[in-house]
Amino acid sequence: MSVDPELAASMLAYVEDSAPILAFRLDSELRVRAPNHHARRTLGGNIEGNTFSSLLPDFMVTPDVASLAATPDAVTLITLGTATGMPESFGFRFFAFGDGSLLALGSPDVQEQARLQTAFLQLNQELNERTRQLHQANAQLRELDQLKTQFLGMAAHDLRRPISVITTYCEFVLNEARSKLSTEHQQFLRTSLSAATRMKQLIDGFLDLAVLESGRLQLDLMPASAADLVAGVLPTAQLIASRKQVVLLVDIAEQPDQVSADAPKLQQVLLNLIGNAVEHSLPGQRVWLTARTQPPGLAFTVRDEGAGLAPEQQARLFEAFGRGGPQKTAGERSTGLGLAIARMVVEAHGGRIWVDSQPGGGASFTFSIPATAPQTQALERHDGAI
Amino acid sequence: MMATPPTQQALPADPSFDREASYQVYLAALLSGDRERCRACFEQWLAATADLRTLYEDLVQRSLYAVGEQWQQGKISVAAEHLATAISDSLLHLCYPRLFGLPRTGQTVVVAATANEQHHLGARMVADIFELHGWHAHFLGANTPPAGLLELIGRMRADAVALSSTVSANLPRLLQTARGIRAEFPDLPIIVGGQALRRGGQERVEQIAKVHCLNTLADLESWLSDTNLDVRRS
Repeated sequence: MSVDPELAASMLAYVEDSAPILAFRLDSELRVRAPNHHARRTLGGNIEGNTFSSLLPDFMVTPDVASLAATPDAVTLITLGTATGMPESFGFRFFAFGDGSLLALGSPDVQEQARLQTAFLQLNQELNERTRQLHQANAQLRELDQLKTQFLGMAAHDLRRPISVITTYCEFVLNEARSKLSTEHQQFLRTSLSAATRMKQLIDGFLDLAVLESGRLQLDLMPASAADLVAGVLPTAQLIASRKQVVLLVDIAEQPDQVSADAPKLQQVLLNLIGNAVEHSLPGQRVWLTARTQPPGLAFTVRDEGAGLAPEQQARLFEAFGRGGPQKTAGERSTGLGLAIARMVVEAHGGRIWVDSQPGGGASFTFSIPATAPQTQALERHDGAI
Repeated sequence: MMATPPTQQALPADPSFDREASYQVYLAALLSGDRERCRACFEQWLAATADLRTLYEDLVQRSLYAVGEQWQQGKISVAAEHLATAISDSLLHLCYPRLFGLPRTGQTVVVAATANEQHHLGARMVADIFELHGWHAHFLGANTPPAGLLELIGRMRADAVALSSTVSANLPRLLQTARGIRAEFPDLPIIVGGQALRRGGQERVEQIAKVHCLNTLADLESWLSDTNLDVRRS
């Protein structure tokens, strides 16, 4: 059959310049010769002279193309590395010439491409749906968290009053009618008083937490020095330590610097930290309270000689009810709120709080506050943490 | 007068923003699969647009309609069209910080693209518009089997269901699904929409009781405003 030379030239030009098929010759050493435009664009502009095996990704076994040329009607699926860096599969046919060279013609595996495209689209859809669900769940969690805070605040506020009545009457009867009570009845009352006092502490903690978490915390800022702040807590701190025969050592170097602080709230933080240190100390052990200048403000450290904390215990230490610490040395019961409240108060001052500790090596809690607290005193909620 | 959610009112629109020019840049980027450029444009629109529905209609929907036309005219491949959809889909999450966490009405809607329908983006935007109006929207994605849809409507005690269909060939399935829902939930409002209904079939769907055929996101907002008003009154 003779082919019109003009038509043959047109067909050749089409294959050379435009056809979406790979066409190149492989010489007797199986090196690529005369790649067409589509082959250069798909496999890379510099493939001429490269061996056919070098076009394959490293995980593919080189096919025996010479034997494939024996059956030129058969289409063999071969995966090649492409210019984009992603391997792609092509249906190849090989035709042998008399001089030992081969003509290689490859077309994209349409079915495979369609399958990959569908898989990609499904993956993309799934990812986007999950992202949407996450945002939705996050918003719901924020709403629930807000409700929880409101409920906690209301419940704690309403419980406070009856508990005050219980503690007042218990104290009154113990003081005023002690002589009329048997030893056993006095003990009953002391147990009731102790339980009610602990409940009041817990509720006070809830209320503090509710206020802090709702973002309604208002700081009453006044200039204060480290000495001012420590002086306000020292009598109570000494009492807490002496009850357990723990030695409290205070070291405040000359601190001319003042910070802008809500003194009662920061003193509550100091007491929380000292109370925590005492609870984790054995009688005769020491607790240090130190204050030093740490530009641009002050840093306070409370260190103990207790059992210390493992890294996994430290992770949730400053979260509400994040009881990650070791057992209290005298079986004291903690509300699990003290360190969370401390963190929130310190952060409201624009400062930060952290712990350094090793198991068996005691714990050292430090908080730093800048000289000037942020102008807006309302606490920001930690939405990003959900 | 349509009520606009409060958080959107708080955002002032930027009058100097050239929407048309930015749209053209976005469309060109979408057609060439340039995700990063699309993202940059999308963020510009987000910053300059007070309400999300406008952004959905004037940028996302308009550009995808243009992409669809180019595909119909054979100017771009189906792969390019899919890539454009995938890019648009993934950019919607940039709106979510403004979408979720708005005041809730306590109502729930189940939104789905009907069985065999692979185009889900319109349904997703519908779900987002519901969220924008304080509803809790459960979006089920593409190709939702009717049985699963019915089960979820019951389980979620949905106050409405929204069905989307893009391809005309899927309209019989949409009708079948709507009838199935009506049989099991006689009073549940069913909202239907999508490109397929703009080419016909609307009257057949509306023969089913309490089916609202809404052509645009603006229509949906009007319906929602009326419905939310009823809830507040009741």
